[in-house]
Amino acid sequence: MASSTPLKSILKKPPSSYPATSSSSTSKADRDREVALYHANLLQQRKDVEFTIVLNMETLIDFPHAGPPHDASNPSLSDARSFKELLRPFRPSDYDALIVERNINELCGYALCPNPRTKETGGGLYRLLGMNGKAKDFKVVKKEELEKWCSEACAKRALYVRVQLSESPAWEREGAQTVNIDLLDEPKSEEDQAVEKMRNMHLNNTGDAERRQDSASLALERGETGAGRSGLMDIRIQENQTQDPAQPPSLDTEELSGRLDTMHLTMEGHTPSFGSRRQRRHEDEYGSPGGEDIDVDVDRDWRV
Amino acid sequence: MSADDDRAIKLREAGEREAARLWRAWRTVHEMVQDRGYELTEEEVKISLDQFKANFTGPDGTIDRRLMRFSARPSDAMMIKYANVPTANNPAAASADIGTIWIEFLPDSSVGIKQMRNFAQYLASNNFHTGILVTNVNITPAALKIIPAVASETRIECFVEQDLLVNITHHELVPKHVLLSKEEKTKLLERYRLKDTQLPRIQLGDPVARYLGLRRGQVVKIIRKSETAGRYASYRLCV
Ligand SMILES: [Zn+2]
Repeated sequence: MASSTPLKSILKKPPSSYPATSSSSTSKADRDREVALYHANLLQQRKDVEFTIVLNMETLIDFPHAGPPHDASNPSLSDARSFKELLRPFRPSDYDALIVERNINELCGYALCPNPRTKETGGGLYRLLGMNGKAKDFKVVKKEELEKWCSEACAKRALYVRVQLSESPAWEREGAQTVNIDLLDEPKSEEDQAVEKMRNMHLNNTGDAERRQDSASLALERGETGAGRSGLMDIRIQENQTQDPAQPPSLDTEELSGRLDTMHLTMEGHTPSFGSRRQRRHEDEYGSPGGEDIDVDVDRDWRV
Repeated sequence: MSADDDRAIKLREAGEREAARLWRAWRTVHEMVQDRGYELTEEEVKISLDQFKANFTGPDGTIDRRLMRFSARPSDAMMIKYANVPTANNPAAASADIGTIWIEFLPDSSVGIKQMRNFAQYLASNNFHTGILVTNVNITPAALKIIPAVASETRIECFVEQDLLVNITHHELVPKHVLLSKEEKTKLLERYRLKDTQLPRIQLGDPVARYLGLRRGQVVKIIRKSETAGRYASYRLCV
């Protein structure tokens, strides 16, 4: 590639101007060289991205940087932010490679977790999980799959991130396709949240202040006073006292067959009680509501 | 009692097998380094199994791979072979792109980015021109991507112990491969009025090319024995 003439950068052109089709170059040799360069550049770009991924991986092996108060369920803000940033060019396969690399260094596969990975004692290739829960929790898992993490929670956190990664290689992604990654457990210490708020405030601030100034001067011009504001409703939201510990929502399967009749009428899980279609049909036929059939229906509505 | 004895015997036998394995890999690496043209004494290359065990057995009675490491300097003949030929537009040819080689066996049960980076740093900080990393297991693909990235500082080659148990070049069906110097390559191409790309090729990843540590653009002379034609030579360009 030792050429005396300065080489034009083809990278800066949009991809649409594929050199073979551009009419600007005249001789065949020129065109050939441009095509070769174009492809060489693409290849170089690809190599660069691949190497960036390796470097990012290397950085993520030593994650997290923050000390004891932070862990996988509560990562520090800076760690979480750079974690997302570094993962941007990753494909799921690169992410798997990162997990392997962390495991080689005896760390939990989830990069925001400071714990060592578990080492299962005893032989056997498989483990049985969920033996004392419901049947649907029962799982047969490969031992090596379990040994990738410090806990099941971390396995979930890591996979939650993995499914958000783009399958297309970074050098083929359009600019708009930047990956924004959410964590299952976002940073939540007060200090970090305050920092986050400050950042957000700073971002919106300049525009806000101007707008407020503008509307204030407009109000002054119109002769409006503070009285106009009293028209707004004053709402205070108060939390209910809770007696029982919070229960996660679940699909209560045993009641499903009982509710099938009215299920199509439910709105966000609630069945309106003012007469199901069946009840109305009943009224049409017999004139007035009544009878055991309807009592059952009403009962059911209450239970739901 | 006898069960314990049994286990002890089995353990010792496994240790013996492992020692013999490592001894063979150790011998092959030395032959390889010598065949490339580095300076090694015959005692170093032809070490006996007993001597090997005496040198590298750790306190726990097994061979300690961390002790298995050595360096070698290129011989004068090798320096000439790698020398750059002064040409018309480059009269002051750059010095030969060759130097001290460092060989290390790694005990780790898995080899990733970290180990590769450490090896590269060790080579660079000790000014080793080339490094050979012999591992027990395959290296992760991500770690292998480190090698081209540090190529400007140091040249890293990787071998798996398993591949070094026998010296492939000693096999009767493998013809002798001899690296040509740059000067010899130029003369060859002039004699046959060829461009080097017109030569038959040998892949960089070919086992013999890896054994000789060939680089892209180098030419090897391959000498075959033939019942009908005696010895004949052919040439291949490394790509
Ligand atoms: Zn973890």
